[in-house]
Amino acid sequence: MADVADLIDQGIKAYVAGRVGEALRNFQCVLELDPGNPRARSYLLLIHGGAAGLVPEPAPARPPPSAPTAAAPVPLPGGGVVPVAGAVPLPGSSRPTPRPVASGSPAVPLPAPGVATEHTAATQFDQFAPSPWDEGPAAAATFVLDPDGGLDLQAVADKSDLRPLVPDVPVPAAQPARKEVDVWMQAAKELFALGDFTGSLELIEKILQVDPDHGSARDYLRQNEATLIAMYESKLGPLAGIPRLAIKPEEVMWLNLDHRAGFLLAQIDGTVDYEALFALSGLPRLDTARILANLIADGVVTT
Amino acid sequence: MNDLEPAIGIDLGTTNSAVATVRDGVPRIIPNRSGQPLTPSIVAIAKNGKKLVGALAKRQAITNAENTVFAAKRLIGRRWGSKEVEDARKVLPYTLVPGPDGNDVRVELASRVYAIPELAAIVLAELKADAEAWFGRPVTKAVITVPAYFNDGQRHATKDAGRIAGLEVLRIINEPTSAALAYGFGKQVERKVVVFDLGGGTFDISILDIGKSVYDVVAVGGDTYLGGEDFDRRVIDWLTFHFAKENGGVDLREDKMALQRLKDAAEKAKIELSAATTAAVHLPFLVGGGDGRAALHLDRQLGREKLEELTKDLVDRCIAVTEKTLKDAGVRPSQVGEVILVGGMTRMPRVQKAVKEFFGREPCRGVHPEEVVALGAAIQAHALTAPQSGASEVLLLDVTPQNLGIMVVGGYFQTIIPRNTTVPTSETHLFTTVQDNQTSVRIAVLQGEGDRAVDNELLGEFVLDGIRPARRGEVEIEVTFDISADGIVGVSAKDVVTGLQQSITVTATSGLTEEEMKRILDERVDELLEKKQTTHDFDLRKERAVAALAEIEGLRAAVQDALERTRFGKDAVQKAETVLSRVRQALDARDASGLASEEESLERTLQLFKGLAGAGRGSGPR
Repeated sequence: MADVADLIDQGIKAYVAGRVGEALRNFQCVLELDPGNPRARSYLLLIHGGAAGLVPEPAPARPPPSAPTAAAPVPLPGGGVVPVAGAVPLPGSSRPTPRPVASGSPAVPLPAPGVATEHTAATQFDQFAPSPWDEGPAAAATFVLDPDGGLDLQAVADKSDLRPLVPDVPVPAAQPARKEVDVWMQAAKELFALGDFTGSLELIEKILQVDPDHGSARDYLRQNEATLIAMYESKLGPLAGIPRLAIKPEEVMWLNLDHRAGFLLAQIDGTVDYEALFALSGLPRLDTARILANLIADGVVTT
Repeated sequence: MNDLEPAIGIDLGTTNSAVATVRDGVPRIIPNRSGQPLTPSIVAIAKNGKKLVGALAKRQAITNAENTVFAAKRLIGRRWGSKEVEDARKVLPYTLVPGPDGNDVRVELASRVYAIPELAAIVLAELKADAEAWFGRPVTKAVITVPAYFNDGQRHATKDAGRIAGLEVLRIINEPTSAALAYGFGKQVERKVVVFDLGGGTFDISILDIGKSVYDVVAVGGDTYLGGEDFDRRVIDWLTFHFAKENGGVDLREDKMALQRLKDAAEKAKIELSAATTAAVHLPFLVGGGDGRAALHLDRQLGREKLEELTKDLVDRCIAVTEKTLKDAGVRPSQVGEVILVGGMTRMPRVQKAVKEFFGREPCRGVHPEEVVALGAAIQAHALTAPQSGASEVLLLDVTPQNLGIMVVGGYFQTIIPRNTTVPTSETHLFTTVQDNQTSVRIAVLQGEGDRAVDNELLGEFVLDGIRPARRGEVEIEVTFDISADGIVGVSAKDVVTGLQQSITVTATSGLTEEEMKRILDERVDELLEKKQTTHDFDLRKERAVAALAEIEGLRAAVQDALERTRFGKDAVQKAETVLSRVRQALDARDASGLASEEESLERTLQLFKGLAGAGRGSGPR
């Protein structure tokens, strides 16, 4: 049954990776091994869009793989089962010659390790003809209407594989000249002096993309980050404070959040404090502080 | 008020732990400081370096998998290279390394190596702190439960964990025995009791012969990799599948943040479905939409029938294991007098139905399956610390948990002291040589339930040499096992004729050396001192802050007067109110560092209030 579980797992993985044909074969293979397996049937139904008629009837059950012979009880010589009462000779002494004793059987050789019979389900895949779905999920309709009834041009471009004349992969920009980096650095310093730490940080990050070892930029990165973290944290209040949702849970859907803010918001349940949230988030401290400060500023969260 | 020092019972589980006590004669669970009856047995070092225990550690177990230790119980007291450790290495995301002597298992966590008892001690210390918060006084005495199949090494390691946590472990008792104690079995009627324990990560089935205060675990079986988490995984798979279908193949399992939320929600939905017929899984902004598009939501209903369909084979596996265990023990389901359900998964109606159908009887109800083991341990702790209370009838004796013996010819295991023998005890058996002129014998001391020596745990070995040359079978070797009240096993082998003798003393070890134990205990003392210092620091700052707040409140009326007379100072007072609010929050949260950072602002606020109050009085009507 471990094979069945593996095959179902492989089927799910194949489906979510877009390999629908492989997923179908996996689930069908499960039904061959375990006709009527409810999970496999359920997933096949889902792949076929809930059309019950598309699910193959359970195939006749195959004979199970032969049981490992080692699993059978090993008869003891002499028919006895009581361990012999005898001391064990040291390794290196003369060849042992087990002595039968009245109360039990002589020494019994240890059974040979079981011979594993691996189920070779993978080889069964070769019995199938190649499927046109192997390369990915079936294509959706090329023409897509947007909710207002018009033609969704972006969706058309995505689905139809039509490409604009201008390559959509931007040509890598030429490396900025050293002079530009100096200009950005100067601007970053000025923004820092003016108290625009976010603007300064953006420029610093731009510089470090070009020159990751830029010493001055690294210094300003640290200073900007430390200042921004302090700024955002000051909006949170004491870090031992416990944030709470300031809106109704059902209103969360109407916010404009990214998934990181969604994750942090999901952790706010009235039991964890800010310090714990920093630990739970797994995000850099600056990002966590910024998201939380924004949630407070937007009235989503309160302490 | 009971003047006796409180004693607690601890169920140190693979997935969750619980602590209980007996108060006013009634066993009860002690909720943790978040108000929950269960504490996840998880320890983590968060990405920001903070040590997390319990629910908080669980909430980042996927996003910070490599630094989150769960299911450490699978490893406690195990030898490096053993099958159990090798199996665990295949599935655990954190790094296991051998101990300094290459024998035991350690965990590498955020560049530090921890012994398993150290990690178990962190969970135990959390439970101890919860109990102390509940009692309002220190707690040191505890009974801890372990699975019935734990050997001496594993029990000793659990005891060491308790010691590191600052607990005096009164006794280690078997989990199924503890569950039976909680139901009050064993007082009168003799019967067979089956404990069906389906927890978060393991499934254990135990058959007990109970009666007249004797609790004999006659057979154990189970699947160490079958539990609630497998059920959760099925729900996760199902949700992922639907989400991929609806969102162009987005695989939620590839996004750690999404998977963390998905796992939490799957477990929650599964629990809800034990009481309700449908559960809503609502996860807004679960995963990025890609290419700058809006984050995607997951919104789906899961019905009880669907959950049962998704997990049918898991329930069937539990019953198959139960059937095999009973068959191996020669017990028919109809011979079973009671069935006790243990573990959160047994709350699932389908599991209860399957158990009822198999045994042909209703399982015991009345004690919460997730609390029953801790409650039994609390009853035992109470019996040990308050014998005058009349609880001595449930007092368990210290017994050997497994058979003790030696390896004999052919690689077989000869039991000398059988399982469940009350200690202290002594037993002697006679053996003979198996070869002509054999001059030495090797005595391998083993513990376990297997017929073959290799299936049991090797506790130690020694050689008796200089045996007089003789024909095989003529030399008699007397092997004696002595077990002291402390569980120390002494084994000696003597040539009956010559009196030549060799012996060995086997002390169960957790893998920690005495030096390591001393270092760990010293570190613990340092931690406690640091904690005490922080508390002291908070108390000092609190005193100053409370005095300043009182003075400010005393000036408030005069300041109000002043503000009515002048347009100056209003902005400053508004800012000062923000400071006062932050100080009050820091006081509520017992946040020493928060108070420290507001001290200067609070002092300025006080000066501002004094100044305004003075100005108000100075310019007031005469």
